[in-house]
Order: sequence, then structure tokens, then C-alpha cells
Amino acid sequence: MLAGFGGLLALMSVAGGDALWILRQAKRSNAAMRRTFLVRSHSLDQIRSGIYVSGTLARDYVLAVDSATAEQQRNKLQEIHGSTEAALSDYGRSLNVEEAAAFRSLSAEIHAYWKLVDLMLAPGREARRQRSASYFYNQLVVRREAMLDLADRVAQRNEREIAAGEETLDVTFDAFRLRLIVILSLTLAGGIGLAVVTARRLLRSQKELEALSMRLVNAQEEERRTIARELHDEVGQSLTALAMEASSAAVLAKDNLEFRERMHSIQHLAESSMNTVRNLALLLRPSMLDDLGLVPALRWQAREVAKRTGMKVRVQAEELAEDLPDEFSTCIYRVVQEALNNSVRHAHARSVRIQVSGSSSDVRLAIEDDGDGFDTRNARGLGLVGMAERIRNAGGHFQVDSSPGHGTTLSVMLPLNGRKA
Amino acid sequence: MKPLRILLADDHTVVRNGLRLILQQQPDFQVVGEASDGREAVRLAESESPDVVVMDIGMPNLNGIEATRRIVTSQPKVAVAILSMHTDEGYVVRSMKAGVRAYLLKDSAEADLIAAIRAISTGKSFFSPAIRKLLQEDFIRQLEDNEVEDTYDLLSTREREVLQLAAEGKTNKEIAAALNISLFTVETHRAHILQKLNLHSVPELILYAVRKGIIR
Repeated sequence: MLAGFGGLLALMSVAGGDALWILRQAKRSNAAMRRTFLVRSHSLDQIRSGIYVSGTLARDYVLAVDSATAEQQRNKLQEIHGSTEAALSDYGRSLNVEEAAAFRSLSAEIHAYWKLVDLMLAPGREARRQRSASYFYNQLVVRREAMLDLADRVAQRNEREIAAGEETLDVTFDAFRLRLIVILSLTLAGGIGLAVVTARRLLRSQKELEALSMRLVNAQEEERRTIARELHDEVGQSLTALAMEASSAAVLAKDNLEFRERMHSIQHLAESSMNTVRNLALLLRPSMLDDLGLVPALRWQAREVAKRTGMKVRVQAEELAEDLPDEFSTCIYRVVQEALNNSVRHAHARSVRIQVSGSSSDVRLAIEDDGDGFDTRNARGLGLVGMAERIRNAGGHFQVDSSPGHGTTLSVMLPLNGRKA
Repeated sequence: MKPLRILLADDHTVVRNGLRLILQQQPDFQVVGEASDGREAVRLAESESPDVVVMDIGMPNLNGIEATRRIVTSQPKVAVAILSMHTDEGYVVRSMKAGVRAYLLKDSAEADLIAAIRAISTGKSFFSPAIRKLLQEDFIRQLEDNEVEDTYDLLSTREREVLQLAAEGKTNKEIAAALNISLFTVETHRAHILQKLNLHSVPELILYAVRKGIIR
């Protein structure tokens, strides 16, 4: 049980930790990918714009009227050359296998282009003029076109790469979701299994407890019966015999007055002890319950309580079959005993009505008093728990109806379930 | 004079010995057998045909009430006196319905026991004063509790006379002679009494009479 709960908790914390870790990884790689993409796009844009601008500058250089302007254009061109190279090397730093070939041809193309530009930038106005037309139109423009095309291809690659990255991310997320579902299912199944096992165990121990309490109640009843019988039959009869013997001996004494008086006092002592023993036995378990059956025992109890307390106790009982199961007779008898006790002690009732009736399928008992009553929601104790326990042990139903100032009614139903009534 | 034949049934030897001692002091009493349980009592009652059985209730094998029922059924002439420690009305009523003619408590005076045996041997009934009181009080309480009218009021004067004589153990012929009426009239009265009082047997009639205080 403990291992089960521990395992479940461990599984849940591992699943939680795993999920968090995977989420963080995914976020991190996604961010890294986007950063790389942006850096590359930027570099590529720089290269592209550098090349465009260089074309314009080269043309301006060629067409420059004076050498000062030409020189200015040349310097600008060289500056752009530098920044393009820097961007190119930036891009080259985060390169993967797929785009390596395209990138290499791009950089080769760029290098060739810049060589051409350098060549064109060779000093001398005449040379400039001479070379200008052929270079510019035949080579520079062509090269520039090819280069821009390559740059586009590299950009495409770059875009494809980020698409691929996103795909990878999707796959990762799918895998993660699957993993999460599996772990959650496992946890749920474990939880349900554990709950079932726990519930079963609880139910079993509850049943064991009930069986134990039933055995205890039965054992107690059996013990009371035995002690009551022993007291009544053995001790009581011996005392009876003693009283009789004393009485006979007194007769034999004839003229000895003192002896006769002594014998009579022995007789009276024996008789009063007999009464004590008899009452004790009846308190433990009335012999009527076993000898005469439930209803005579209930009537006796009602009379005794009425005599002792002054409370009016009425017993209304149809003649129940005598072979009511012993378990039921005892149960009803003890419940009535406890109920009468409550009515006198706690409810201060003036009268109680006890009704017992039987059919082929069940035995019903109702005990009604006109006492103080109580709120059934917050009153346990009062022996009610003990009654409920007895009745449950006998397989019956128990109902308490009461409210302050309106008396109390206890209703009991014991199903016979095929047992002979 | 023919002696009164008595059978003792009690599971305690000491009690039986004590009873024997008391009864043998009467010259016309003869203890013809002792039984230590209900079954033995039934068997001895058949073989010895006693006039009176003095019976305890709490006995092994078969209790005194059941033993009485069997003896009275097979030998209606045998009169049974219960001598018990049980003072409860339930025991008395059950015993009487089984056909017992006397119910005495074990702490009764010897004189009561002897008087009871003599009474039941002539067909009368006898109850310890405490038992009689108990039955009468209980009867009144039951009438009150169940709020029913006393059916005794339904009986005519002549029927009340017949009821008393019948409860005292008189035969119909004796009643007819005592009241100077015909046997047929007595039988008619008897039937009406049982019907009005909702009674079904002689033992029930005797029980009713004791409860009403009609007989002692």
C-alpha cells in the first residue's frame, strides 16, 4: 500500500519534471534557431545591398568626370567591400552541411566579383575609360546578376532551414505530447488500481470488524445465559433445599424452642439469598427469554421497569411464533432494554409503548416514548450506537425518529430471509 | 383409606429429599416415584399412574411445562402441581395453559404445598397467594392497557355461577345437581361462557377465574 502510494507520487513528480525540462529545451532551441535565422537574413541582406550599391558606385566611378570624384567612389566601394566580406564571414560561421555548397559558390562568386571591381578600379582615367564599357556591361553586370541569384538561393536555403527547424519542433512537441499522455494514463491507471485495492482492503477490514463485534456480542450473551442459569438453577436450588432442610429440622426439634428459632432464621436467610440470586440471574438474562420466548420476556421487563421507575410501559405484541431465531429474540430484547433505559434516564418519559409484530418475512419492533426527545443530527451515544450495532449484526434496519419536545420513536425491522419465524 | 400417590419431578436430589421428608409426614401421602428430568417424569407418570405430580419447571431434557402438557394429554386424570422458583406471570400462564392445576413457589409454606396437593387431587385448583395476586393485578392492568371492556360483564348471573363451579373443578353433573338444573342446560351455559369470554379449554377457564379472583 505504502509502496503503491510512494510509486504513484514518484511517477507523478518524474512526469512533471520531465515535462518541464522538455518544454524548456524546446523553447531554448526554438529561440536559438530564430536568432540564427535573423542573423543570417541580416548578413544576406547586407551582402545583397552591398552588391547593388557596389554596381551603382562602379558605374559612377567609371563615369566620374574628375579623378577626385572617382577617388571618392573608389573609397566608398572599398568600404562596402569590407562590410560585405564581414557579413559573408558572419554567415559562414553558422553554416550547416546542406547549404555549404551553395554558400561556397556564393562566396566564390563574390570574391570573383570583387576582383573584377578591383581590376576596374585600377588608377588612370584613360584606363578607366577604356575598360569601363566592356567590363561593366560584359562582366560586372553579368557577375552581379549571377551573384544575386546565388544570394537568393542561399536565402531560400535559409528559409527552408527554419521551416525544417519548425518541423523538428513540431515533431518534438508531438513526441512530448505522446509521452505526456502515456505517463498520465499510467498515473491514472495506477491511481485507480490503488484506489480499488485500498477500497477492497478497507471493506474487508470493516467486515472483519463487524464479524468480530458480532462474535463478541454473541459470546457475551452466551456467557450471561450460562451464568444466569447456573445462578438460578444451581445456587438457587441449593438455597431452596437448604431452606427446606432447615424447615424440616425445625419440625424435628419439637420442644427445643431455641433450636427451632435458629432453624427458622437459617430458613429465612436462605430464602432471602434465593431472592437475591434470582434477581441477579434475571438481570443478567431473564430465563423467560429461553423458556417462554420473546413476548413473555418483554412483558416481564415492562412490568419490572414500571415497578422500578413508575413509568407506564405497554407491550402490544401479537403472539409471535415461539421459534423465532434466538439471535432475533435476544437482539429485540436487548434493544428494548436499552430503549427503556434511555426513556427513563435521558428522556424522562412518562409512558412508553412497545409494539412487536411478525410476518412470514420479517419481525418488526417499534418503541415510542413521550419523553424530551432530541435532535437526531447531533445526538449519538445514548446507547443508540450499541443498538444499531446489534441490529446490523442481525442483518436488520434501524431508524430513530425524534425531535426536542416530541418524544422518540425507534423502529426496527429484522428480515427473516428464509429463517423460520 | 386409599393413599394419595405422588410423583416428584425435580433435577435436584436435595430438593426431592426435602419434599419427600415433608410429604411423608402426611399419613395418607405416598411418594411413588422420583424423576430428575422432564422425560423421566413423563415415563414414570405413565408407568406409575400417580394421582398427583409435583413438578419443577427448570429441568434438563424436557422442562416441567412441556412434561405437564404431555402427561395431561395422555392421562387427563393426573393432576400436576408446579413447584417453581419462577414468580413471573409468563411462567404461570404458560403452565396453566399446559394444564397445570396448582402453581406454588418454592418458598411456599409447607402447609400450602400439602393443601395444594389435596385440592388438586379432588379436581380443584390451588395457587400461592403471591401468584394469585400477580395474576389478578396483571389482568386488571391488561384491561386498562388494551382499553377493552371486561367481558365478565356480558355473563348472566346463572352463567357466573356455572363459571365458578366449573373453575372449582366440578363436573357438569355436579354443577347440575348443585344448581338444580338439567345437565343439558349446564352444557349450554358452559358453551356460552367459553364463547363470551373467548376461552377454548378448561385450563384457560381456570386461568381466567383465578385472574378475575372468582376462585382462590
